Amino acid sequence: MNTIHLYLRSMAMLLKSHLQYPTSFFMQTLAQLVMEGGELMVVILVVDRFENLGRWAGGNLYFFFGLMSVSFYLTELFGRGITGDFPSMVRTGKLDTLLLRPRGILTQVFCSGMDPRRITCIGVGVAALVMGSIKSGVEWSFLKALALCESIVMSCLLILGLFMIEGILCIHSVKSVELVNAITYGGRSACQYPIDVFPRPLRILFSVVAPFAMTMHVPAAYILGKPLYGWPLWTVFVTPLSGVVVFFIMTILFNKGIKFYRSTGS
Amino acid sequence: MHYIEINGLRKTFVVKKKREKGKLFRKKETVEALKDVSFSVEKGELLGYIGPNGAGKSTTVKILSGILTPDGGEVSVGGRVPWKDRKEYVKHIGVVFGQRSQLWWDVPILDSYSLLKDIYRIQTDDYKDRLEELTDALQIEELLRTPLRLLSLGQRMKAELCGSLLHRPELLFLDEPTIGLDAVSKLALRDFLKRENAEHGTTVMLTTHDMEDIAALCSRVLVLGHGRKLYDGRLQTLLEQYDYDHKVSARYEDEDSGNIDHLIASMYKELDL
Repeated sequence: MNTIHLYLRSMAMLLKSHLQYPTSFFMQTLAQLVMEGGELMVVILVVDRFENLGRWAGGNLYFFFGLMSVSFYLTELFGRGITGDFPSMVRTGKLDTLLLRPRGILTQVFCSGMDPRRITCIGVGVAALVMGSIKSGVEWSFLKALALCESIVMSCLLILGLFMIEGILCIHSVKSVELVNAITYGGRSACQYPIDVFPRPLRILFSVVAPFAMTMHVPAAYILGKPLYGWPLWTVFVTPLSGVVVFFIMTILFNKGIKFYRSTGS
Repeated sequence: MHYIEINGLRKTFVVKKKREKGKLFRKKETVEALKDVSFSVEKGELLGYIGPNGAGKSTTVKILSGILTPDGGEVSVGGRVPWKDRKEYVKHIGVVFGQRSQLWWDVPILDSYSLLKDIYRIQTDDYKDRLEELTDALQIEELLRTPLRLLSLGQRMKAELCGSLLHRPELLFLDEPTIGLDAVSKLALRDFLKRENAEHGTTVMLTTHDMEDIAALCSRVLVLGHGRKLYDGRLQTLLEQYDYDHKVSARYEDEDSGNIDHLIASMYKELDL
């Protein structure tokens, strides 16, 4: 309970820090809107040109796009400490300061970063979700709403877990972070589109290694009324749990990494 | 049983060297930062810890504050082992790095303090009392609503000190606290440290290159060089002994730091550090 309280207070303080520079904050938030809006335009153009992609109609594609945007940028908004700031914490020695406080390292890393500018990206994502669900004629039910919520939460955990790999690697002073970016940022770009339009190797990558397909595409396909691979209903609620599994495993490895840091001093 | 006991402390680092031409892998080299260092500190002592750059001072402080795990040797601080059960241990210590801030850059320092209150789980009443006491002693009351980034170097150091003492640590590590401070701020800071030490019995371990700091504050100095302990005792004795042994012509008096610097410098050279 105390930890959540601490997290919320830290977030409030970070927001205050960001608002210390109002013009810069406003401009950057606007820039984010243009950036993510541009991404959505690409999808709109694709839909305009081809009308459908495999068995997915235009509206379906908006829905997939929206799901990815909302999940990815929610993670960046609340978990910036993990998704962006951690490598610099190791480099500048901020991690040492965190080690001097009587709190878990992961908690403190979470508490030391947020990126409120992402709010516009999330806005674009929500717009895409709404547009997609109207165009696809989704009939919302309690189960579908539940599936959507679970999908977003699990996807956030998955993305956090994947970014933690980057953190773990940078503790071991490995500079080849690009490899991890291939599944984090690469995963974001690729999995804006449903998994079954990809060739087999990519399908395996994003189902098993970085299971975006499990946390996003299985539930989304169910919501859109076109179950992925014809899988039964229970899979919609079980496969997204892979997100929490990845997060859990990475938490353990992350703490191992901190142990390593403490014995080598990076 | 002493408050801090260190026995045969060892720490080596693996340093990767720059890749040489024509070689596929980088050479690795182990650097022994600490080779068998032992000493003990009593509760309430003000200890100066000096030595040339790269002598292993920071490594010792990092081990004592629980950031680093040593390769060998025993350490006990108030009956606890620093690198075991980190969360429990760090509640009892405070650390100030002269070059590194632990407060939040863009918000008023009062906000930083109140977040530290939550981090250390300090009771509200206790926090209020302590904050008032510290702001009085450090004279930073009018700075509390100013963001850290707008403070001068001296003000910032005071703010850092206040932040690291809020949870009433038994043991305070100071890493070059007076670096870049003007004469007035330095004196004020020293006075404060003396008072804190006298009133609360806080054990203070000070690493610095400023011999004046040591002369003014520390009853005892520890000289470290190449990862080994070279001297442990009173500063005055160290200087007299060295002066006598080596017939260095430098004249020094208690407060005359210029000459102390000369003497220490010639001592470092003599010992080939």
